[in-house]
Amino acid sequence: MNTNKLSTIQKDCAEATSGSIHLLSKLKDECILITGGTGFMGTWLAEMVAFLNDNHSFNSKLILLSESSQNFIVKAPHLAMRDDVELIECDIRNVMEISNEVSYVLHAAANPDNRMHASDPIRTMNVIANGTDAILKASLRLPSLKNILNVSSGLIYGPQPLDLDAIAENYHGGSDCGSVASAYVEAKRFAETLCSAYRSQYKMSIVTARPFAFIGPYQLLDKPWAINNFIRDSLMGGAIRILGDGETIRSYMYPSDMAFWLLRILVDGTSGLAYNVGSPHGIALQQLAEEITHNFTIKPKIISNFAGGRDLYKSRLVPDVTLAQKSLGLSMKVDIAEAIKRTLLWYK
Amino acid sequence: MPRILISDSTLRDGSHAISHQLNSHNISIYAAAAEAAGVPIVEIGHGNGLGASSLQLGESLISDMEMLQNARSHLVNSKLGIFVIPGFATINKDLSMAIDMGVDVVRVAAHCTEADITERHISYARQKGKEVYGVLMMSHMASKETLIEEAHKMELYGAEGVILMDSAGAYLPNDVHEKVSALVSNLTIPVGFHAHNNLGMAIANSVTAAEAGATILDGTVRGFGAGAGNTQLEVLVAVLEKMGYRTGIDLYKILDAADIAEKEMMKVIPTIKSESIVSGLAGVFSGFLKPVNRISDKYGVDPRDVFFELGRRQVVAGQEDLIIEVAMKLAQKQEEK
Repeated sequence: MNTNKLSTIQKDCAEATSGSIHLLSKLKDECILITGGTGFMGTWLAEMVAFLNDNHSFNSKLILLSESSQNFIVKAPHLAMRDDVELIECDIRNVMEISNEVSYVLHAAANPDNRMHASDPIRTMNVIANGTDAILKASLRLPSLKNILNVSSGLIYGPQPLDLDAIAENYHGGSDCGSVASAYVEAKRFAETLCSAYRSQYKMSIVTARPFAFIGPYQLLDKPWAINNFIRDSLMGGAIRILGDGETIRSYMYPSDMAFWLLRILVDGTSGLAYNVGSPHGIALQQLAEEITHNFTIKPKIISNFAGGRDLYKSRLVPDVTLAQKSLGLSMKVDIAEAIKRTLLWYK
Repeated sequence: MPRILISDSTLRDGSHAISHQLNSHNISIYAAAAEAAGVPIVEIGHGNGLGASSLQLGESLISDMEMLQNARSHLVNSKLGIFVIPGFATINKDLSMAIDMGVDVVRVAAHCTEADITERHISYARQKGKEVYGVLMMSHMASKETLIEEAHKMELYGAEGVILMDSAGAYLPNDVHEKVSALVSNLTIPVGFHAHNNLGMAIANSVTAAEAGATILDGTVRGFGAGAGNTQLEVLVAVLEKMGYRTGIDLYKILDAADIAEKEMMKVIPTIKSESIVSGLAGVFSGFLKPVNRISDKYGVDPRDVFFELGRRQVVAGQEDLIIEVAMKLAQKQEEK
């Protein structure tokens, strides 16, 4: 990775932690295990911990557990080669023993790519359900365990009613459990309930985060999500194509904010509670596309899907993050315009 | 006024009707006429799609690359489309070439219960910034519940619409309404319908699909296509116009395009022959018509019996080898009598 990119990440981490370092001080001298540690989320968490160690003497140790770390070594050699980062290759479902020095567990192992959920729904469910069970069982034996953060999903709420401005943690929607598209969501719901069961039966301290949507460096542009496609198509010099009439609403958080929020929930989230993680600022896809075009001298065209004979499907997915903001003192440092600008620069 | 996106497969499905012998002149002249008529999508290629030219399915007269190159040079406002069946078309050899040639629209098709095989092709085309649709072929063979599930997979892979294909011309309007409306209510992306005319229902079925919420309809001028042919495009445009739908197609110019195509490309205009009626009733892919007739003739059996037996075996495109086996068994039975 070139020095410009490294410097960008450093600045992002500095900005996300600016004036709030003390909120993570419990991580000092601790060992954190991150499952799914080499994915998008794990990579940003590693960047953040590395930043805290290098600039604020946190002296934290990081264990990144994943099925394969080869891509990570290529993608982030500056992290992979660090003394304070250990890479472990293991199928999450087979985790038996964790180093006794681990005091915090952040369980983020799952693939959010809905193409995989459709192609292999059984594996999707298996990894989430049995992987969560395996990591919780293994964590039971940790002598100095302080907290576990189970990374769930903002999708567990099911479709957000269009007249509901933002989804709060106490909203009880649900998905169609008979649909193949629900494999990921239902498994995530199961994992949350399993965490509650472990918490109740073994008095473990387990908190849940429900992440929504993110955009920024390290996120692959081939992912089948609107903003990724918009950015990819605009970088390729093509038109930005919007499915529907552009009124679908999404919100996006920049990943350095995401990493800070997740670590904050890990250290001080209340056991048994779930916290939404994402941007509370909804943006219509049409507006999002326009925001992207502002970054180009020759602006990409925006094309709405032609086939619009009926009322086109509209959806809304925006979290209410009041709980995280008020109880954990969290805020967003990077707005959507800046997130887009930085993502485009990263990929140019 | 509701809009319908028309995809014109004259230069793709029509290829079946002339054993895939479309030449450069045919493509040039029709692509130019379709462009002039304002046809939104013009689909080009071998009848079975990109990369399908082969001894088994019939060899194209000219290569995929030549066809695309030629069509591209005549299409400005109309989009250049291709039809892709994974297995016949590979990503590295065929799809990437087509994208390099400037294709705008990629339709990735699979048998109606096998959407899983479309993931890589749909993803690849989306990654290349192309407009991508999923196509469920032989959709009369699956229940609406199965079709919803398979279409849903295509949606999750990145398809921007899903088209139900009545490859055998086996649907009646009630079937169309049931299945199209089920998809419309369960998907978040547009739904389309591609009809064949074996039972004389292509226009009626297409109109029913639109009334059930489909916003993408396929057709070919003069119904140029396999067997009894497809939905006759110029008729469809006229009917839709009369019903108050907008297609963006100039009626006079699509009528002209149909006249040109008839004169330049069609040795015989598709009609509903006896075997086509039987293939529609048996639910067998219309593209089987020519090989069934040829092989039945060779083995001295009634092609109608061959169609019904193929239907009983639920054959799908790509299983043309079975025609010989069926014809041989029927011939053997005849001898035993």
